[in-house]
Amino acid sequence: MTTPIYEARDMVRTYGSVRALEGANFDVYPGEVSAMIGDNGAGKSTLVRILSGADKANSGQILFNGEPITLENPTDARIRGIETVFQDLALANHLNPIQNMYLGRELMKPGILGSLGFMQRSEMRIQGKNAFSALGATVRDFSGPVSGMSGGQRQAIAVARAAAWASDVIFLDEPTAALGVVQTKGVMDLIRRIRDKGIAVVLISHSMPHVLDVADRVHVLRHGKRVAVMEAKNTNVEELVGAMTGALDGKEAA
Amino acid sequence: MSLKTEDAIGGHETEDSVIRKPLGARLGHTLKSQAMQIVLVWLGIVVIFSVLSPDAFLDITNFRNIAISVSILAILGVGTTLIIVTGGIDLSMGSILVFSGVIASMVMRGMGDGEGWGVAIAGILAALVSGLLWGLLNGFLVAKAKVPAMIVTLGTFGAALGLSQVLTGGIDLRAAPEVLVDSVGFGSLFGVPSLVIIATVVVIFGIVLLNHTKFGLRTSAIGSNAEACRRVGINVDRQLIKVYALAGLLAGLAGVLNLSFFRSTTIAGHSLTNLDVIAGVVIGGTSLFGGIGTVFGTLVGLFIPATLRNGFVILGVQPYWQQVVVGAFLVGAVYIDQTRRAANARGTTREPLFSRIFHRNSSTNTNRKES
Amino acid sequence: MRHITTIKVASVAAAMAFTLAACSSSSESEPTTPEASNDSTNEATTNEDLDIAFIQGVIGDNFYISMECGVRAAAEEIGGINVSVQGPQKWDSALQQPIVTSVMATSPDGLLIAPNDVTAMQRPLEEAAKESKVVLVDTSVEDPDFAVSQISSDNLGGGAAAFAAIKEMVPEGGQVLVIDNQPGISTTDARTKGFATAAAEDPDFEYIGVQYAKNDPATAAQILTSTLQRYPDLKAVFATNIFSAEGAATGIEQAGVAGDVKVVGFDAGPAQVDALKDGTVQALIAQQPYQIGYEGVQQAVAALRGEPTEAVIQTGSTILTKENLDTEESQAALYASSC
Repeated sequence: MTTPIYEARDMVRTYGSVRALEGANFDVYPGEVSAMIGDNGAGKSTLVRILSGADKANSGQILFNGEPITLENPTDARIRGIETVFQDLALANHLNPIQNMYLGRELMKPGILGSLGFMQRSEMRIQGKNAFSALGATVRDFSGPVSGMSGGQRQAIAVARAAAWASDVIFLDEPTAALGVVQTKGVMDLIRRIRDKGIAVVLISHSMPHVLDVADRVHVLRHGKRVAVMEAKNTNVEELVGAMTGALDGKEAA
Repeated sequence: MSLKTEDAIGGHETEDSVIRKPLGARLGHTLKSQAMQIVLVWLGIVVIFSVLSPDAFLDITNFRNIAISVSILAILGVGTTLIIVTGGIDLSMGSILVFSGVIASMVMRGMGDGEGWGVAIAGILAALVSGLLWGLLNGFLVAKAKVPAMIVTLGTFGAALGLSQVLTGGIDLRAAPEVLVDSVGFGSLFGVPSLVIIATVVVIFGIVLLNHTKFGLRTSAIGSNAEACRRVGINVDRQLIKVYALAGLLAGLAGVLNLSFFRSTTIAGHSLTNLDVIAGVVIGGTSLFGGIGTVFGTLVGLFIPATLRNGFVILGVQPYWQQVVVGAFLVGAVYIDQTRRAANARGTTREPLFSRIFHRNSSTNTNRKES
Repeated sequence: MRHITTIKVASVAAAMAFTLAACSSSSESEPTTPEASNDSTNEATTNEDLDIAFIQGVIGDNFYISMECGVRAAAEEIGGINVSVQGPQKWDSALQQPIVTSVMATSPDGLLIAPNDVTAMQRPLEEAAKESKVVLVDTSVEDPDFAVSQISSDNLGGGAAAFAAIKEMVPEGGQVLVIDNQPGISTTDARTKGFATAAAEDPDFEYIGVQYAKNDPATAAQILTSTLQRYPDLKAVFATNIFSAEGAATGIEQAGVAGDVKVVGFDAGPAQVDALKDGTVQALIAQQPYQIGYEGVQQAVAALRGEPTEAVIQTGSTILTKENLDTEESQAALYASSC
């Protein structure tokens, strides 16, 4: 039995009197899409924030490749090859796709020019374009600001950026929430291609059909705990909704 | 399987000729042409004044004088452009200028006989350090204490000026070594005034910094989306402090140049300098909302009011009208920036002003979508 | 893209045209006497029109508006003189210096100017003196040798006159305050000095010092109310210029001590005359800006004609009180709001 690349055990997180997570578990394997679903307030966002380093749990364990780790900040996660795309996409609107991709990780020129702050712009452009096309994301205008692009394009850029840097795990929080049908399909295809590269994809979504379409496993969160884990091909919408709302309370898959 | 590009979000399909680029406005190119447009406006002004008053206006001495009057503002403009690109603002630059001049003059007066290059260099360094410290204070309060930039710099605007008055008893210091006044204030190299040369060097530095270095890129990024920058591990606070510190340093430089030119700390002056510089930045195309801007635009933006004022005085126009026209330019520039931002957010290119106003079915008029 | 450029340049052109319409309607650069100019244009070789530029210390100030009236009156009397008037928005060398260079680009024959700073304007005016006859009006510079003439009020005497007016109103003596504009201006510095000297010589009065209101009435009002807090026995205030006097009057009103604290103002603008009538200001020391402007033109023309000039001219002052306000002499001393 292979170990999950990334795992959360018995996560507890309280904010004052609000108990966001009450012993939640989660795991994901390399080269799979694990979807995290649950109603509002189930604890999805909290769990994702903890696993991406933006927050710390009150108790519980995080295991990366089977080893316990602590994440002090998002950089700790990124160093390990764990990338997260939140719903706001975190794109700098005035910058172009290449600049966005390399934001914070710019390629500097060697020697004194680099220490003065000069970047390898043509190299970043070439590598960036390759990264996009390797994922099948077609960006028509690499020199225009991302603000002028459609929602689907922006999502693709944000996801491709994360995928380019993520060597192990990528979290996608509601990537298709604001998109139309055709754009959603594009992002779904992108997700499959990322999985095929061997990266573990964690998909948080409200949309059951999309989840069943692209995920390998589905984790259902309710009241801060994981209440069900199912193989996507073995389940359906009614079952998932049942788990989300409590009809299948107490049933915890191994 | 490739990700097809989708239609633009928002926007409204009309039968009219709205140019809709599939991938939205090419801001980079628009900006470059925005800078070119500003230059064209300035050239237009030059042409009109030259026609109306060829002897007085179209004269090398006159242009040299315009350039000198813009030099100190341009140095301030570099720092202010960077600050405004981060989404902040600086109201304190005039006071930091004055304070730094006071410090420089006090240092130079107290050294030996007060003459010679050694003294002058000490004074210059003193002014730079003074400006840097004020800039650090501004930056720290904005970045760490999270006080809004307008409030912080309004505070330092008053504090720096007040301290200048405390230090001098309100009476201008006039100590400046002759070498400084003669070579920097009034000197020239190959016919180009020293002030203009220094300003040009600073402006070129600013252009390279903002457009070609990581520092400049991150400055824009912070103005565009500071949270995104934090998420990718950029130390936003540290970057902001550096930007404000640099602006302070440049204000310090401007202070010693001011002293060299006027041979006085001009404590009572420069109360409107901050507005003049900010107007220049805005007219030059930099957005007050941050994220995008050019130093070159600021330079041209500063030349426009200076040239207007010069031409109006030459033509004998009443001073009050001069203020009206300069004000109109400022409002016009902000309006154009607003429409450009709105168009970019909608993912369309900006419709020409003419058709937007006069065509009933233009996309702006049929679908007033707030962005 | 092309449209935008065209629109922009066209708008600029429209703004220019609009401005020129305003410019021509305000007759800035028309000769003041049509007959005189016709005469002079008929004589092609001799007696060309003289261009005289007047740069005020600050615009919107009744003192300098009266001076402008004097300038224009002298120009009209002499005939064949084109007058143009400019000035900075605020009392600021950084604003005035570009105006000097712009005015000099038009190569005026004569330049009348009230310099904003004794050193800052030194070099620019030395440069100007190379091309024009420069007359310093009201304020001066460190080394005025380049100037044809310096014309100003006898400010020391004016300050002493202010003290005399206070002594008249408060014979028993007391604490007196000066509210000045800002240090470094030759005129107001002299007024303060004249006042302080006179006060020092008088054992009945205690001179508590000078505060600076920076040409801002609001600041002057604040200074007054704060001073009253510290010195409740304040008996009189000398405000050295028009904005300080306005502010002092406001401050007294605000503090509710109208009548208890006497104010002597300098300059006689409409607002101050109103204050004089209301009783918030008890006396005004009026300068003679009209005369200064008038003499300025005469000196410049004399220099241009190679006639002898007077290096220093000091004009006098008039003490205005509510009682003597309606006399002809007092009415003539009031400052204008327009010419």
